[in-house]
Amino acid sequence: MAMIEMRGINKGYMLGEERLPILKNVDFSVEKGEYVAILGPSGSGKTTFMNIIGCMDVMDSGEYYLDGVAIHETKERDLTEIRNKKIGFIFQNYQLIPTYNVMQNIIMPLLMRGMSHQDAEARCMETIRLLGLDQRLEHKPNELSGGQKQRVSIARALVGQPAILLADEPTGALDQTSGKEVLKLFSEINEMGNTIVMITHDLSVAKTAKRIVRIVDGQLME
Amino acid sequence: MRLAEIIRLVWLNLSQNKFKVVLTSVGIIVGSATIMLVIAIGTGSREEVAEQFKNLNAGAIDVTYGGEAQSGGGSDWFSGLFSFGNGGEMPSFGGGDGGGMPSFGGGSGSGSGRSSGGGRSSDGSRSSGGSGMPSFGGFGGGSNGDDLILTQADCEMLLEEVDGITDATIAYTTTTSVEGGDHSSATYYTIAGVLDNYAQISNLSMAIGSFLTQENDESKEKVCVLGANVATEIFGSAYAAYDGIVYIDDRPYVVSGVLEEMGTVASGISPDTAIFIPYQTGIKYVTGEFIRPTITVIAEDVNNVSAVMEEINAVLEETYEGSAFGLSDAGSKMEAATTSNQTLTLLLYSMAAIVFIVGGIGIMNVLFVSVKERTNEIGILKALGCSRKDILMEFLLEASCISFVGACIGVLLSLGITPAVELFHVRVSLSAQGAMLSLVFGVITGTIFGFYPAYKASRLVPVVALNQE
Repeated sequence: MAMIEMRGINKGYMLGEERLPILKNVDFSVEKGEYVAILGPSGSGKTTFMNIIGCMDVMDSGEYYLDGVAIHETKERDLTEIRNKKIGFIFQNYQLIPTYNVMQNIIMPLLMRGMSHQDAEARCMETIRLLGLDQRLEHKPNELSGGQKQRVSIARALVGQPAILLADEPTGALDQTSGKEVLKLFSEINEMGNTIVMITHDLSVAKTAKRIVRIVDGQLME
Repeated sequence: MRLAEIIRLVWLNLSQNKFKVVLTSVGIIVGSATIMLVIAIGTGSREEVAEQFKNLNAGAIDVTYGGEAQSGGGSDWFSGLFSFGNGGEMPSFGGGDGGGMPSFGGGSGSGSGRSSGGGRSSDGSRSSGGSGMPSFGGFGGGSNGDDLILTQADCEMLLEEVDGITDATIAYTTTTSVEGGDHSSATYYTIAGVLDNYAQISNLSMAIGSFLTQENDESKEKVCVLGANVATEIFGSAYAAYDGIVYIDDRPYVVSGVLEEMGTVASGISPDTAIFIPYQTGIKYVTGEFIRPTITVIAEDVNNVSAVMEEINAVLEETYEGSAFGLSDAGSKMEAATTSNQTLTLLLYSMAAIVFIVGGIGIMNVLFVSVKERTNEIGILKALGCSRKDILMEFLLEASCISFVGACIGVLLSLGITPAVELFHVRVSLSAQGAMLSLVFGVITGTIFGFYPAYKASRLVPVVALNQE
């Protein structure tokens, strides 16, 4: 079975009395180890689509299977666990907790699984070395550059060994050089067997993925 | 998430916002300090009441002829007439509420003065006359029935005729000049004429020597027992006073004993500042026949005091037709004092509760602001898979920790405030239980008021929280 299997997904928001459709009967699937870019302009529904893939929002109708789990039948309490174990989020503006240092930010997903502080630190050391953050562990996010922050965000997404990495405009807040570094990193991570779904409005960024899916007016086109 | 890790995160958040923690906990600081002081003041006043009534037997009933009963010619009544220090200066005459002081009259009320006619003489025999012509009407200022003096015979009669009485005694007080020991000049002290059983009935204990005996009374011996303060003032110490000589009205009395210090008492003769002499000795050498004694009887069953009082009244009215007697029981006095003390304590507790509620609302307010400030952080945690329970727990623990810190500071603050409170002559009795209770109350209040903001935080929708700037 595919890593992500979506059939007939619909999502809309109420605007006063009127329903505004965002996603219209979307079918989408991603195989294990794929690196997919979802490309679309602002207002096309790509963020809503990403929230549904990331189990942070619920669809109005349709079926969604993530790594064999029927998400459309899952309750909010269980979705929390699925987010923790099956999805690694990488956000445009990093979404690091400002009061925690690099190490504390990175180990958070592991702590949420019930792991002890010591075990979590030991487990993420390899990822930290891979991303070149071993000299920055005690730094707070405001002491890092944009590229370093995004690497922390990637490390946090990777440590839990999730089924998919979900990246929302990962280079949106970075300069060109840092952006390229991050995209190179994505390719390397994908080469290691990780499944990546990246959302972007930038065609040059999307082109670094192995597969591009366009979203226009709430509908997907290959 | 493990509780230890949640606690670690709470510590991380709080340690980076120390000033905010202190400001947030101001309400709890004040509340805990208030609770601690309320308990301390409440305990202090209870102890004070207990101390003031420690010379009273719960079943004691005071009987006087005429108006309100005064135990042993009590100090309250006495101090209404005179204001003087412990054996200090000359008495100043003032308007007490019931005249009839043996040596000095001038009361403004309807108290009894003395007449030579009518009743019995103070040694128990019937006095002659009966016309009621007052000999000393001008002293007492009394206008009704100034012809009766209660005696030892009345005391014995009550003991025989009234059921449910275990013991009875009679006592009177006056004030007169006393010399001796280190005193170069005469000083005025309360002199109490009492029987040998007075010490037992009034729960007095001896520091040294022995109390007055029946033989002392029968032989009208010039012996005395000194109150603790009197002994110290005249002789320097109880040991120096024992077996010494004091001159009461220029007559020498041997000090047969000194009482233990009793402290302030709410009713009856204040033992620390009095000199006790045998009943008959006092009548013979100090007061003369015309005294206003109080009979004190002890009811066998403290629950039966009312019935005993009614019977005493009936017996006395039957014996002395047309006379009015004042009866009061120690239990009622204790109950009144305890009730008043409880009311005060309740008032203080209400005040503390209000302070806690205000403090709790303060915590709730700050936590709401904190949740608002940290909405994005909550969103991140939720996106990463933090459960509602863990977020609720984190915010609740933060509220509890802030409250605990506040409560600890409050307890320390109350220790600092205590000397200032004591400056206002308020007895403050600090206790470990009080500290523990104020800590517990502080933490509970903070946690309760912190629950709603924590609950709100836990219910935030991840995608909405994450997009919050």
